[in-house]
Amino acid sequence: MIQVRLAAPRRAIGLTGLIVGAALLRALLLPLGDLLSTLLFGGCLLTISWLERTAPTLPSPADGGGELPKTVGRAWSLGVGLMVGALLVAPLAGGALSARGLDGFWTWAALAALIATLEEIAIRGALYQRWRDEAGPVAAIVAGAVVFALIHLPRYGLAAMPLDAAVGLTLGGLRALTGRVLPCAVAHTIADWGAWFWA
Amino acid sequence: MTRGRRAGLAALVLGLAAAAALHGRLAGAPVYDGIIVPPEPYRWESPPPNLRAGNKPPLPGEATLPVVNGQVAGGGVQTGDNQVVIYFGVGTFKAAPGTRTVKCTIEPDPNPPPPPAGVEIRGNVYRIGCIAQPGGGPVTLTSSYHLTMRFPPGPISEIQYNDGSGWRPLQTLRAAGGDPYANANAPGFGEYAATASTGATVPGGSILTIIGRYAPFFGILAFVIIFGVIAVVQELRRRQARIPAQSKKRRR
Repeated sequence: MIQVRLAAPRRAIGLTGLIVGAALLRALLLPLGDLLSTLLFGGCLLTISWLERTAPTLPSPADGGGELPKTVGRAWSLGVGLMVGALLVAPLAGGALSARGLDGFWTWAALAALIATLEEIAIRGALYQRWRDEAGPVAAIVAGAVVFALIHLPRYGLAAMPLDAAVGLTLGGLRALTGRVLPCAVAHTIADWGAWFWA
Repeated sequence: MTRGRRAGLAALVLGLAAAAALHGRLAGAPVYDGIIVPPEPYRWESPPPNLRAGNKPPLPGEATLPVVNGQVAGGGVQTGDNQVVIYFGVGTFKAAPGTRTVKCTIEPDPNPPPPPAGVEIRGNVYRIGCIAQPGGGPVTLTSSYHLTMRFPPGPISEIQYNDGSGWRPLQTLRAAGGDPYANANAPGFGEYAATASTGATVPGGSILTIIGRYAPFFGILAFVIIFGVIAVVQELRRRQARIPAQSKKRRR
């Protein structure tokens, strides 16, 4: 049992390194263009999540011997995701609306939703599961928040890191509370879309 | 409630409170993700007829820079819409004795001087000036300062400067990655505008060039979408296959 616990975090750390590495690759490829580097990043996240999907996991040391927590209903969790997304956008909504209008919004919004969903599948899906199984839910939430802040560091700089960590904590909490990735993807997408109207 | 869900609820509340508190300290918008939000439409002082609807007027900018030991320590000024940003290095100004601060302004000019023959102004003309305070006397530049101007969609060839004696072109550097900004070393106070040759168009290209430009983007997008759909379908099948197996176990 001791051996299992000692070996376990290595897998979680390895997966963490892969996701952060994908973000680093994206930063290095930024001179090729924002869309291209972002899509490559999305492709990396998808591949990581895909490979991790069938990887064996270990019994959780802290959350019911590896059993999944009792998940809430899909509709309820979706509602919570929408509400959390709205709460993340709320502090901005008091400011002046941008002059962007809706021209070009839908293409941008679809791509933003795609990337947000892929980030959530990788971080709140594969990474959360790995950390939770190997070190417990609190470690899983914290690791996800740290990774979330780190992957956005090259783009938004140190000044945005505390905010990204706070949002990562929120989304990790949402994942642990609902037992699902979908509400996290919904909340993340809504928060991103807010940038169009209030940035 | 399990330990995991209790931790989740605590993290959710803590994260939301921290995010709300931190929003006020950041000048920007939510920075949670991925695709850079495209810039707002260019703000025209005199918009072309097809852009009049929805146009917002350009904003001016001003800053007051302190003078220490007869020198301005440097600093930046930008318009409220970020369409023009200037930056002064240390010792750019020579201020008269008694000057405490230097006030610099950037203002869109509604009635700019006409461009030279064969050149058209692309976007707004901005008037940049600085005065000494108190008193409002002139300040002298001892070196050039850095100027960044946004320009509207379409071609530009260079930024031009007019100090009252006519327009003259400046060596101009376009921002990388197709961003609509151009930089130049501004030699003095006066008017600045992005310009292009009359009738200039954005360089196009052959069909192969266009395919080469867009193929990587759409190729990777197709990869992400196709692979994503396959992943979702396989996950659904896996779950469906698990359900009969579980019900068989229960029957036994």
